[in-house]
Amino acid sequence: MNNQATKSKIVLIGLDGAPFGLVDDLANRGVMPNFQALKKQAVFAQMQAPLPAVSAVSWSSIITGQNPGSHGIFGFTDLAPQSYDLVFPNFNDLQVPSFWQKYPKIKQVVLNVPSTYPVKPLNGIHIAGFVSPDIEQAVFPTNSLAKLRELKYEIDIDSYLAHRDIDLFLENLFQVNQARIAAYRYFWQESDWDIFWLVFTGSDRLGHFLYPAYANPNHQYHTAFLDYFKQVDLVIGEIAQQLCPHDGLLIFSDHGMTENKANINVNYFLQANGFLCLDKSPGEFYNQISPQSKAFALEPGRIYLNKKGKYPNGAVEKAQEEKVLQELSDAFLQLEFPPSFVPMGGTSAGKSQKVIERVARKEQIYSGQQIDRAPDLVLDEKPGFRLRAGLNKNELFDKDIFTGTHTANDAFLLVKPPSGVDIALASPKAEDIVGIIDKFIK
Amino acid sequence: MDRLTKLENESIYIIREAWSQFKKVALLWSIGKDSGTLLWLCRKAFFGKIPFPVMHLDTTYKFPEIYEFRDKYAKEWGLDLIVAKNNESIGAGMGPDKGTKLQCCNELKTDNLKKAIAQYGFRALYLAIRRDEHGIRAKERFFSPRENISFLWNYKDQPPELWDQYKTKAKDEEHLRIHPMLSWREIDIWEYIRRENIPMVSLYFAKNGKRYRSIGCAPCCNPIDSTADTLDKIVAELKASPTSERAGRAQDKENTYTMQKLRSLGYM
Repeated sequence: MNNQATKSKIVLIGLDGAPFGLVDDLANRGVMPNFQALKKQAVFAQMQAPLPAVSAVSWSSIITGQNPGSHGIFGFTDLAPQSYDLVFPNFNDLQVPSFWQKYPKIKQVVLNVPSTYPVKPLNGIHIAGFVSPDIEQAVFPTNSLAKLRELKYEIDIDSYLAHRDIDLFLENLFQVNQARIAAYRYFWQESDWDIFWLVFTGSDRLGHFLYPAYANPNHQYHTAFLDYFKQVDLVIGEIAQQLCPHDGLLIFSDHGMTENKANINVNYFLQANGFLCLDKSPGEFYNQISPQSKAFALEPGRIYLNKKGKYPNGAVEKAQEEKVLQELSDAFLQLEFPPSFVPMGGTSAGKSQKVIERVARKEQIYSGQQIDRAPDLVLDEKPGFRLRAGLNKNELFDKDIFTGTHTANDAFLLVKPPSGVDIALASPKAEDIVGIIDKFIK
Repeated sequence: MDRLTKLENESIYIIREAWSQFKKVALLWSIGKDSGTLLWLCRKAFFGKIPFPVMHLDTTYKFPEIYEFRDKYAKEWGLDLIVAKNNESIGAGMGPDKGTKLQCCNELKTDNLKKAIAQYGFRALYLAIRRDEHGIRAKERFFSPRENISFLWNYKDQPPELWDQYKTKAKDEEHLRIHPMLSWREIDIWEYIRRENIPMVSLYFAKNGKRYRSIGCAPCCNPIDSTADTLDKIVAELKASPTSERAGRAQDKENTYTMQKLRSLGYM
């Protein structure tokens, strides 16, 4: 650590997609002994992610302290205004300042925070996390690039590897993690900072592709799964050891994860129930939405009314909106996972069950200036179901390579405040993290 | 007949055919190599004097060399130049740093064009697109109807163009996009520029080891490593290049990468 030991520091460690139950369990079982030790000295709680529970939305809430209705990021994808053109919102689309923009006088290192590409100048160092198409626009200042190249630093794991060869995927995952650790050590030592953000994303990737390996000791990749969390725990221990009592430490995830029972193809459901018509089936692009359509979905379960005046083929008049919203809510709440469905290589799911916990209206979960751009409804699925919005599906439920799926209500938050600062966590939310750092600073 | 002459004949035939059908027509001139070649072909088709306006959609973010080139040749070739700007969006601060790149393109190019079509009442537009630029462009027709308000291109409902028979009529709510250069490839363009000695913006020619293979707005274009500072060298370089022309365009590159990344993680 740099030599200004008397100055209070704050360290934030993110474990993307690591659920509360999993880290608690691994800590209790001795896989993450350093985390276990911290749990005893800190406040540790289950944390709620904003809906939809995907990294782009949740990290935007974490770094701004705002809900999506204010920060304006509702998913990895969105539609361009007045069109069905798919766009990919990035850091330029964030409508409120990030924490490091809010405190420009505080020196910060921001390493691998997702959805912060392209980087903007700041008082410190910023290496954006995924999705970062161009490394030159993912690093500030650019003179850090040479060091990153020397460390063989990669922004993200090549997840396509998991689609063809899990061993190669794991090799890549550990390589990327080692380089990330080397980069954190370098900037920790060599740069002057007051706040250090470090995010591990391998936790999320393991969850997506190998979630069953976590709980099953006979699983071929059980050891590899645990090894990753052991590596992360070593870094947590290393960091905790270097902090003084007047420093603050937060460790958290952006959303939870659980085993995926089945995918629910939301646009297929909308088509089958007469809400969505495409001029070609199976569909491919949103501009195939025909004027008969009342609603459509964007990933994962964001439902948009096909409003007249808002979209080129908009059909729903203002006066009809309430009725259509109600019809959609009723339909989704009735949706059941049928017992006859047997996932590939699995067993029958048994008794049929409702799969949608809640159909949230935008006014219920969002507030702020950007609410007009928000999805009209957001589906909150039961744990274990994965919402998909592909237009090319021809069945309601299916299963694919993704064995894990996100959950919103069991992210985690561990807070070890600086000495003399009291923190009580009652049902924390992702957007509370900025408030906690604010409290540490003040 | 050699390939370039054959392409030239085909393009000139389409240019004249469209002019005979539509008097309210304009040529979109981005000052790039493709529209620059189309402009040249139009000058040839009408023996030096183009009988319709040439429209430049000015985002105000183009390279200075582009503006310089435009003004010089508009004067020298006696063009009826229309410079269309979306002043409302520009006034509101729209630019590549505000919003997504696509939003910026939508407002400063697409919306700008919609307004210009409405303002001047154009029934048809000449564009220099080529089938080899992008997969989706392979579906294009020489005469392609577009809906006036949404610009919707219904590629499933396009007239066939068999034996050079073209449907040159548009409904009232439509305008026609005329694509005289669909059959050209990037290499044809450069070989033709070399053959005809067509003036081109200096950005295409290498300086200090870099040149632009595709030009547009300055913040969204990246130069490629190249030593090709003459037409001969550009032609030779293209013949050896394995990468696509639009690889340096920020929006295309970023979107493709992002889409693949999200797909690999099951988010799309």
